[in-house]
Amino acid sequence: MITAPVRAWAWRDLAYALTMPVMAGIGLAHLVLVSLSLVMAANLVGLPLLALSVLAARGLGTANRGLARVLAGVRISDPAPFRSGPGLVNRLGSALGDVTGWRAVVHGLIRLPTAVVAFTVAAALWGCGLVLLGCPLWWRSSALPYLSPGDWLGAVLMSATGMALLLLAPWGVHLALAPERMLARTLLGPGPGETRLRRLEQARAMAVDDAVARLRRVERDLHDGTAARLVTLALSLGMAQEELEHAHHADRLERARALVDSAHSSAKETVAELRDLIRGLHPAALDKGLEVALATLTARSPIPVRLDTDLPERPTPAIETIAYFCTTELLANVAKHSGARHASVDVRARDGLLTLLVRDDGVGGAAPNTGSGLRGLAARVGMVDGMIDIRSPMGGPTMITVELPMRI
Amino acid sequence: MRIVIAEDAVLLRDGLCMLLTSRGREVVAAVGDGDALRAAVAEHGPDIAIVDVRMPPSHTDEGLRAAIQIRRDHPRVGVLVFSQYIETRYAAQLLANGANGVGYLLKERVADIKDFLAALDRVAAGETVLDPEVVTQIMGASRRAESLGTLTPRERDVLAMMAEGRSNNAIAKALFLSSGSVEKHVTQIFTKLDLPPSEGDHRRVLAVLRYLQA
Repeated sequence: MITAPVRAWAWRDLAYALTMPVMAGIGLAHLVLVSLSLVMAANLVGLPLLALSVLAARGLGTANRGLARVLAGVRISDPAPFRSGPGLVNRLGSALGDVTGWRAVVHGLIRLPTAVVAFTVAAALWGCGLVLLGCPLWWRSSALPYLSPGDWLGAVLMSATGMALLLLAPWGVHLALAPERMLARTLLGPGPGETRLRRLEQARAMAVDDAVARLRRVERDLHDGTAARLVTLALSLGMAQEELEHAHHADRLERARALVDSAHSSAKETVAELRDLIRGLHPAALDKGLEVALATLTARSPIPVRLDTDLPERPTPAIETIAYFCTTELLANVAKHSGARHASVDVRARDGLLTLLVRDDGVGGAAPNTGSGLRGLAARVGMVDGMIDIRSPMGGPTMITVELPMRI
Repeated sequence: MRIVIAEDAVLLRDGLCMLLTSRGREVVAAVGDGDALRAAVAEHGPDIAIVDVRMPPSHTDEGLRAAIQIRRDHPRVGVLVFSQYIETRYAAQLLANGANGVGYLLKERVADIKDFLAALDRVAAGETVLDPEVVTQIMGASRRAESLGTLTPRERDVLAMMAEGRSNNAIAKALFLSSGSVEKHVTQIFTKLDLPPSEGDHRRVLAVLRYLQA
């Protein structure tokens, strides 16, 4: 509390409050322009002018957003950039209907009173504080006789009051700026529809990337694994075939036997590898329902996993598949990164939502950007408008909740 | 015959080494990526390099690029490109600067050991060997159907076998023709493709190239 006046945020708040008259003034001039264009919109001259002032509002909004971000510490993301089709008429239409621009106009209007309040509070608190603090310097001068305390004691008292005001000023200004911050956050950022659209767009982009990456991984596995093994197998058999042409030599027969042996074990390994690959594409157990598939999955885990399911009805197959692969990925993470000794999987269906909870007693510290596949997971979950919540403090335990709609 | 092998699948690489060594060929180096291949060829100057197309680090056409470079920098080294799938564009790139001592085969051809070794010998001797699949793809491409239109079905068969690097005698045996009539077909192909007489087998290669680059 005592150090507030020398903190950086206090000065930034003050600077923000002091830009208020300028920004609100420009905003007011702009509002006059908007009203004039609205009045003139009846004849055609006003329309281009109105379009221009909406676009200008965008610019003003950008400036205000920048100030609010840098000085008032408001976290707002940029709205989508202005887009229009080719041609003047298209541009005119897009500008007139530009939601971001109109929101900025509304911001310019509503912020007028809040700006006045913020500036007045800042000016009053800091100004009066400074004047009173300096009281011992000016109380004798005749410029302000009616304010002057009669004596030294009074002057010192007033100086102390000024000091108190200055200590309070940062908090006062901060409080007075609260409506400003709220307005900037709600009107200068992307609109609510835009936010959801953007989230879905991001989820879609990530899902597409994820799908491509998965296909590529399968192709790589088939190419470098299965196909290479089969070629080697064919090579061994080809060599064995040649040796068998000379089977009357005991040593060549023996070589043929060795080649067939190696081909035999190579074939078995290929089948095993292929089975893993197929299971990665679609586990057969999933056809019998999520419960069965998860029971198989958890039983195979290298770390003991307690499974608890409560599924009165089956979700759609797509959701079952996503839930299954989420569990696979999360349990793989537990085995690979957490160093946990126990894990548990809870799945339940309630009110149209499938909730999957995976817990472990490991070291924690799981985050979407640590290369643990959580990003891809979030993408798949986001694709069906689900959500994922990661609680994994350093030192553990980790608790990851995935929520999916039962139907899509 | 001195051979350099570039193949990133260790199992297959070892299998190839074992096969070639057991058949009296000398494998002077067996490597797993393009850079190592270039270095091994520069160091050993082999008769032939067997090159997998897809190798680390990019896992795309690493081997093909190395093969093309080897053909430019070491024209005496035969290059047998060895891949799990056939890309006509790869074949065209590989043959862009002449077709002497080049081969392009599917990996599974290694299972027919005699044919594989024969192909190896031919490439090392400066001939051209293309996988039947390359020819099928080219013949199947509809945009080439037009230029193929002048060839009779029989002539196409013969051309396909020429592309595989077979001699007239071998073609005659495979198609149950007399070697005289094969010769007639070959001459017809050259005439229709407007290839002037030249010394040696070079015209055969040109005939194949004409299709690849059509």
